[in-house]
Amino acid sequence: MRVAQYLITLFVLLSLNFFLPRMMPGDPLSYLLGDPSTDAPILLTEEMRENLLEYYGLNKPLAQQYKDYLLGLAGGDLGWSIYYNAPVSSLLLGRLKWTLFLSGTAAVIYVTLGILLGAISARNRGTKTDVGLLVSVFSLGSWPPFFLGMLLIIFFSLKLGAFPIGGAQSPGAAQAGGFGRVKDVLHHWFLPCLSLVLTHLPGIYLLTRNSMLGVLGEDYVRTARSKGIREHRVLLRHALPNALLPIVTTIAMRFGFMIMGTMFVEVVFAYPGMGTLIYQAGAARDYPLLQGGFLLMMAFVVFFNLAADLLYARLDPRVRRA
Amino acid sequence: MSFIFDTLTWKDEEGVIPWLADNWDVSEDGTEWTFTLHSDVAWHDGEPLTAEDVAFTFDYFKQHQEAFKWFWPMDKVEGAEAMDERTVVLTLTEPIASCHEALIGSLPIIPRHIWESVDDPAKFTAEEAVIGSGLFKLVEYNKEEARYVYEANADYFKGSPAVDTLTFIKVENEALALETGTTDYASFWGKEIEAVRELEEDLDCQHIEGPSFWVLQVVFNTTQPPFDNVNLRRAVAHAIDRAKIVEQVTHGGAIVANLGIVSPFTDWYNPNLPAYEYDPAKARDMLDELGMTDLSLTLITTGGFAREAELVQADLEQVGIQVEVQAGDQSTIDGLLREGNFDLAINGHGGIANPSILRTPTWPASSYNNEEYDSLYQEQSRATDEEERREMVWQLQQIIAEDLPVLTLYHPKMWTVYNPSKLDTWFYTQGGVSLGIPIAMNKLIFLER
Repeated sequence: MRVAQYLITLFVLLSLNFFLPRMMPGDPLSYLLGDPSTDAPILLTEEMRENLLEYYGLNKPLAQQYKDYLLGLAGGDLGWSIYYNAPVSSLLLGRLKWTLFLSGTAAVIYVTLGILLGAISARNRGTKTDVGLLVSVFSLGSWPPFFLGMLLIIFFSLKLGAFPIGGAQSPGAAQAGGFGRVKDVLHHWFLPCLSLVLTHLPGIYLLTRNSMLGVLGEDYVRTARSKGIREHRVLLRHALPNALLPIVTTIAMRFGFMIMGTMFVEVVFAYPGMGTLIYQAGAARDYPLLQGGFLLMMAFVVFFNLAADLLYARLDPRVRRA
Repeated sequence: MSFIFDTLTWKDEEGVIPWLADNWDVSEDGTEWTFTLHSDVAWHDGEPLTAEDVAFTFDYFKQHQEAFKWFWPMDKVEGAEAMDERTVVLTLTEPIASCHEALIGSLPIIPRHIWESVDDPAKFTAEEAVIGSGLFKLVEYNKEEARYVYEANADYFKGSPAVDTLTFIKVENEALALETGTTDYASFWGKEIEAVRELEEDLDCQHIEGPSFWVLQVVFNTTQPPFDNVNLRRAVAHAIDRAKIVEQVTHGGAIVANLGIVSPFTDWYNPNLPAYEYDPAKARDMLDELGMTDLSLTLITTGGFAREAELVQADLEQVGIQVEVQAGDQSTIDGLLREGNFDLAINGHGGIANPSILRTPTWPASSYNNEEYDSLYQEQSRATDEEERREMVWQLQQIIAEDLPVLTLYHPKMWTVYNPSKLDTWFYTQGGVSLGIPIAMNKLIFLER
């Protein structure tokens, strides 16, 4: 039943996906000759515009285009990017792997670290440890992500020369292969990952801390303690699993938005991910690429919501029964 | 593209020079061109480049012109024929003005043995698509990271280039990339003058200043009131302090623009245009005379020119014109301009080294209609005599300056900042590279001359 609901949602989204980009003023042709505000030495005449619109199938009636789009999707064809002049699917896959790598690794780190630190803070509520953690997590993580990224670049790359200023790998590294390549990729990964971890840490940390504090006051925890169960076992086995319930939802939502969530960091570090791709596609009114990108984003959001729903039922008996 | 592919002729600091063609003859009426090709030129895959390839190229581009992003006047090409191994005759339906820039010196010659079987050139992305005859071979093109890696073509017919590997990468902050040594070259323009000044302190970098082939302008919607009235446009021209905008917004990174659009850095520039000196009192008098003392308008622009828009707004307010500024992204502005859905717009474009940009003085909308102007434009585009053409291009500029479909604001300057220990032969090409691209990276800088 729930899965059916999700399928209907997906269909509605698919249609919005088609119509919304086309409702924006402007069309894909203005960016075809390059960025019109900086180069584009050539002027499109009306005749050339007509030719180009026909070539890209943009002068067909909207209903026909919509039909083509749905039929293409059903056949697994995401279309052809006008701005990049390449198949949308290969563009998306090429970028997706970097975004998943960057935000996936960052997510593992900030989720683990956030839960760990949150639990420690809750356990030591009001002590120096708790206050120290609160202050340091927030002072590091409350910068806007792009500003934090710039600071990291200026300090680590410009002053220390320890890390590259951007990109995902060095030119030529792709052919080098082997261990050298892994090292190169990690070298480029470190600063953007650090920015992401620092930005996302406070949320998870605070949520865990508060949730744990709530749970630690519950009767069953008091009961467990009074049964003489050792403290760290009370924490890990009795309190934490229940405290994690709201955190699971938050994490699922963050994962769902992971594709666009890294955009600012990608821009600052010129990291070749999905965020910058979709942003550029929007500026260029590249309809096929926008459609494909949004589709992928939606699929992520829907998938992780569904996963959270199912996981929630497994974790919390009350939901399962309802 | 000019690194991988060659053209029949090319340009240096001074002007047109022979390239794939050793020499050429033009018929009296300018419609028949005979080229004699350099011998022993080879494609990257070792095949010889012959007259057949050149003839094929003209025919192929004519057949597929809608698929190419760059624009050559292929509708004026009748056809091309290979007379022998080294001789090609190109026939035009009518003469093309500045034919070297427009066609001969910018159309890349492509290998027949690869392209003759390709039906949709825009979607041909196989490895062979980048086989050319140029001084570099493209060895890596990474779409995800916007990275191009070129390797020297050691067998190049003009000699092996001075740089073995040339890599283009995308960075967020070009000044930072130069400072950290990540890159050895970057170009800056207009407001970025601050970055150039800062890099000047950095002893490792040098820079050269280039011409400006770009213009920022106030576009009037001449199709509807109130700006269908030329006297109102002239009043606005007197009300806006263009010099102040150059000084306060670009901090000296630009020059006050030619009111006739064409770049002052070219031979086409007409220096004798009416001036519309800044004079708010005069502007107010003109508005009184028009009976337009209570105007309220919208001005559209992109976020990048918000400062300029504010200054224009303030200047117009001084003479009693209320202006509401609306900012959108570039595609939005283009859309509104095309629909004619605006009063005033601040928008810019390049390509002003070449008079063919004057096709319609508004950009990108073709809202301005003036038959005299249009026929003059058509006439100059057929002119083969440079002097005659210049005369007509000057007249076009005169009309723009008098009729003011647009009020030009400024031409941003350009700088190329580079690391001289890697390469120090940079120069700006007269009239721009290829179709007029104002970069200091002419392929000649890599060759011994």
